[in-house]
Amino acid sequence: MLLTDVERIIRRSLSAEAMAWLEQKINLVKAEEKSVQLNLTFSHIPRFTDKRTVVLEEDELSAAANGLDVSDWSIDHLCRVWLLMQLPSDNQETYLKKVDGLFTAAEMNELVALYSALPVYSFPEAWIHRCEEGIRSNIGTVLEAIMYHNPYPAKYLPESSWNQLVLKAFFTEKDVTKIIGISERKNRSLSETLKDYVEERQAAHRTVHPEIYKLIEL
Amino acid sequence: MCCNENFQERSEGEKIQTSLDLNDVNGMKFFDPHVHMTSRTTDDYQAMADAGIVALIEPAFWLGQPRTGLASFTDYYSSLIGWERFRSSQFGIKHYCTIGLNSREANNEALAEQVMEVLPNFIFKEGVVGIGEIGFDDQTAAEEKYFRLQLDLAKEAGLPVQIHTPHRDKKKGTQRSMDISIEQGVAPHMVIVDHNNEETVKEVLDRGFWAAFTIYPFTKMGNERMVEVVKQYGSERIMINSAADWGISDPLAIPKTAALMKKSGISLADIELVTYRNAITAFAQSGQINESDFTSVGPIDQSQKFESNSILRGGQQPRIDKNSIIIS
Repeated sequence: MLLTDVERIIRRSLSAEAMAWLEQKINLVKAEEKSVQLNLTFSHIPRFTDKRTVVLEEDELSAAANGLDVSDWSIDHLCRVWLLMQLPSDNQETYLKKVDGLFTAAEMNELVALYSALPVYSFPEAWIHRCEEGIRSNIGTVLEAIMYHNPYPAKYLPESSWNQLVLKAFFTEKDVTKIIGISERKNRSLSETLKDYVEERQAAHRTVHPEIYKLIEL
Repeated sequence: MCCNENFQERSEGEKIQTSLDLNDVNGMKFFDPHVHMTSRTTDDYQAMADAGIVALIEPAFWLGQPRTGLASFTDYYSSLIGWERFRSSQFGIKHYCTIGLNSREANNEALAEQVMEVLPNFIFKEGVVGIGEIGFDDQTAAEEKYFRLQLDLAKEAGLPVQIHTPHRDKKKGTQRSMDISIEQGVAPHMVIVDHNNEETVKEVLDRGFWAAFTIYPFTKMGNERMVEVVKQYGSERIMINSAADWGISDPLAIPKTAALMKKSGISLADIELVTYRNAITAFAQSGQINESDFTSVGPIDQSQKFESNSILRGGQQPRIDKNSIIIS
C-alpha cells in the first residue's frame, strides 16, 4: 500500500475540518528541525480524527494484501502511520532520533501504530533492534502489531530473533496463521526449540497447538 | 499471565466468594524466596502474614516494560532496600532482596553498561542475599554478556545467584545457564536455578544446583504437578516460590501448596524443607539471613514511619475488615 492509497482512504474517512487540521500539522512537522510538532501531533491525532475501523474499497483490499495491510486498522491508527510516512528522511541521524523519541514516550495505542509502521520507515536495517525489543513486550496488542500481517520481521530479522517471534506467538496464544513468512522462514534451530516446547507442554499435561507440528517438519 | 486479552472469558464465570481453608498448615512458617512485592497490595501482605509467611526475597526484575534511563534503575534498587522493606515490616514479614540486571533489559546495551556501573553500590547493602534474578530471556549475545559479568560480580562478592530460566526454549536455556555459571567459576551450591519444570529438574539436581519451582497459574507450575515432583525427587535442594508479580499470580502459592502436599501424604519434614528451610539454607550463604529476625518477631507497630511516610493513610485502622461493606 502506497502513500497515495493511504491518503485516499484518509481523505474520505475524515471530516473536512479534521483533514484540514491534519494537513496543516503535517506541514509543520515537515518544516521543523526539532520534534515538538511531531510529538504533539502524533499524540493528538485521535482527538481530531476518529477511532472507527477503516472501510476499504475493492482495489484497496488487494493493495493491502500486498505489503502494508491496513484493513483492520482504526482511522487514527492509519493517520498516525500516514504522518510517519511523510517524515523527512534526508538526514538519517535526525530521522532516527525523531522516531526513537516517539517510541520512548509512547502509550499503548501509539506503540501499536509505531510497530505496525516498521515496514514504512526509512533506513529499514536501523529498526531491527527496535523490532526485537517489541517482541519482548508483554502487551498483547503490541505483539500483534509486530506479528500480524507485518512484512517487516520476516524480511529483516536475523534468525535468532525471528525464532523468538514465532516462539512467543505460540507462547502467548496468538493466531500464527497471520504471521507473514512463517513457513518460508522455517529453520532447524526453531524446529528443535519447538520440539522441546512440545515435550514440555506434554509433561505439564497441556495441549499443543497443531500449527507447531508444521514448523517442526523441515 | 500476559499478552492476550482473555478477560471476558475470565469474567464470565460465576463469581463466588469463598473463604480459603488453610487450617491444615495452620501454625507452619513459610519463606517465599521469590516474590515481587512492589507489584502487590497491602491486602496481599496481610494475607501472606495470616497464612504463615514470615520472610521473603524480592528479586530485582523488569517492570513489565523497558526502563529508558539509569535513574529508574537506581530508584528501583533503592526502593527494594528502602520503602518496600519497610512496607513489608509493617506486616511482620522480613524482607530480603536480590539485586541484578534482568535478562530482558540486558538487551539495551547502552543502558546495561550504565546499570553495571551502579550495581556494585547495592550488593553489600544489608539484607541483599544474592545477585538476581539474572540469566536468559531470549538467549541473545547481550543477555549472555551481562549474565557472565554478573556471575563474576557474585563470585567476587561471595553472594548466591538467583537464576531466571527462560519461559521459551527453557530446557536449552537452563542447561546453558548452568554451563555458564560453572565456566565463570561459580559453584553449583551458590546457584539457585529458578522456574524449573518436569523437563529440567533432574539435570539441575544431578549437577548439584538448587532447584526452585515457581507455582504460578497458567504459565508455570501448578501445585498438583509440584506434589508429583516432590514425590519423585524428594526434598533435597528443592524449594518453591510464588514469583507473584503484576500478572495473574498468587502470593499464597506456598501455603496453598504446603496444604496440598500435606493432603497428598508428603511428610511434614519434607514440606518444611521445600517451603521454608532449603531457601534459607541456600540464601543464608550470603551471610545476610538471621533466622531469629523472623522467628521471634516483636509486636508490629503499623504507625512506624519511613522517611516520614507511613503505610497508614489518614485515620485508617491498622487492620481492615475485608468482609464488611463499610470502609471507615
